[in-house]
Amino acid sequence: MSELEKLRVVIGYEFLKHIRRKRLYVILGLALVAELAVIIFVPLLREAGGYPDNIMVMAFFLTVGPSLASLGAVFFAGDAIAGEFESKTGFILFTNPVKRTTLWLGKYIACSIAVTLLIMFSYIITAITLLAIYTEIPFEMYQSFGLALLFGGAFLSVVFFVSSVAKGAMGATVMTLLLVMVLFGIIESILMFTDNPSWFLLSTGGDSIAAVYGEYSVILGEFMPEGRELPFEMETMNIGLAAMAMVVYMVVGLVTSIFISNRRQLA
Amino acid sequence: MMDEPIVIENLSKYYNHFLALDNLNLRVARNENIGLLGPNGAGKSTTLKILCGLIRSSSGTVYIDGIDVGKKPEQALSRIGAIVETPEFYQFLTPQETLRYLGRLRGMQGDELKSRIKEVIHLVGLDNWITVKIEKFSRGMKQRLALAQTLLHDPPILILDEPALGLDPRGVVEFREIIAGIGKEKTILFASHQLVEVAQICSEVAIIDHGKLLVYSNIAELEKKYESLENAYLELTGGVS
Repeated sequence: MSELEKLRVVIGYEFLKHIRRKRLYVILGLALVAELAVIIFVPLLREAGGYPDNIMVMAFFLTVGPSLASLGAVFFAGDAIAGEFESKTGFILFTNPVKRTTLWLGKYIACSIAVTLLIMFSYIITAITLLAIYTEIPFEMYQSFGLALLFGGAFLSVVFFVSSVAKGAMGATVMTLLLVMVLFGIIESILMFTDNPSWFLLSTGGDSIAAVYGEYSVILGEFMPEGRELPFEMETMNIGLAAMAMVVYMVVGLVTSIFISNRRQLA
Repeated sequence: MMDEPIVIENLSKYYNHFLALDNLNLRVARNENIGLLGPNGAGKSTTLKILCGLIRSSSGTVYIDGIDVGKKPEQALSRIGAIVETPEFYQFLTPQETLRYLGRLRGMQGDELKSRIKEVIHLVGLDNWITVKIEKFSRGMKQRLALAQTLLHDPPILILDEPALGLDPRGVVEFREIIAGIGKEKTILFASHQLVEVAQICSEVAIIDHGKLLVYSNIAELEKKYESLENAYLELTGGVS
């Protein structure tokens, strides 16, 4: 039996695990609630009432769903590697004649499929909403979809990396969220307000999902009450560089996590 | 085919500065059932984990059917079935799904796999639980499932580390009968603290302490020399003055 066939088997059963777990449906529910909140509250909270005339503004706000879906990667992948060591399932899995690289790669691909499904689900809601309100779908939504997939993959790789060095699954999940959402978020804010580029941060990659719809100042400006402006200026994001950075995170994170995990011993 | 399917040569293992195995040598002949005995921390589990490719040795080599486990772990692992420590399973899968997964990783498929799953599930007495998620299983039931996955691909070599741990008295008796039954045609390296269990299943024992082999002998000979296996164990491991 070739390693490729074994990889297919691992992907199949790892994906089955995701389908059986509640977390897939919880994230699905959260993404749906987030999208519904935008659809309901945007017309209620706007001073002018109704949906914005500019389709890009609405599309921008609807990226909350895909962003949440991409972040769902942390809940699928946090225990992918650390869990095998922590919960002793590795004692069964690792005594089979399969390369560890095949196991990790299979887990990564299964997680990617789950995250992709979540992202697709939230973009279907976005597309239906935009069609219902504006009778069109902007081309930028497809770009946003591509960037969301890229961000999901990059985020997944970072989770895998943290999971490969962490002792426990919970620690890996919390550590990744703190790293990307808090630490990277703080650095990104500092760089943004000091007019410096932040494309190399993964959190900026996440922001690119929404940035394709236009500059923040223009989009948010349209949402401001008449006569008022944003209290600060924001650096225009270089989406191309942010996408390249996400590819680097994805490849380096995955390769490093496989290297570390292969050397890890189940003592 | 090698006459000695399990060969351990000059095996040493350090955990940081702690020496767990100290130049251990052991050769197990084909179709022998060997009990690996020793006090807690003697190095039994470490030895079995190195044989299963779960940890690396600091020095020395282990061979399964002549294959260097350190160099070709997948090839070596295809010859063995193993229970190491108290293994856990994916909670969201059923025994049927788990065994199908592990069987397919070992190249089994179709009707062969289906009928073999039924066979081993019946052997360990989990017929009524085959489609129940493992999250509902007790420790003893998981241990039965562990034995089922060990036998699934009918390997010629079994490596068992305290396999009866967590089983109820009936389970322990059934387990001994299963192992004693299949043991005639398999090479078994069996680590345990239960001397009675070892005496019932194995023909020979290797007693280790502080990572060193103290004795490797026929049980009957040890009983002759020390009056009982228990006396031999206690005297050799320093428990009797």
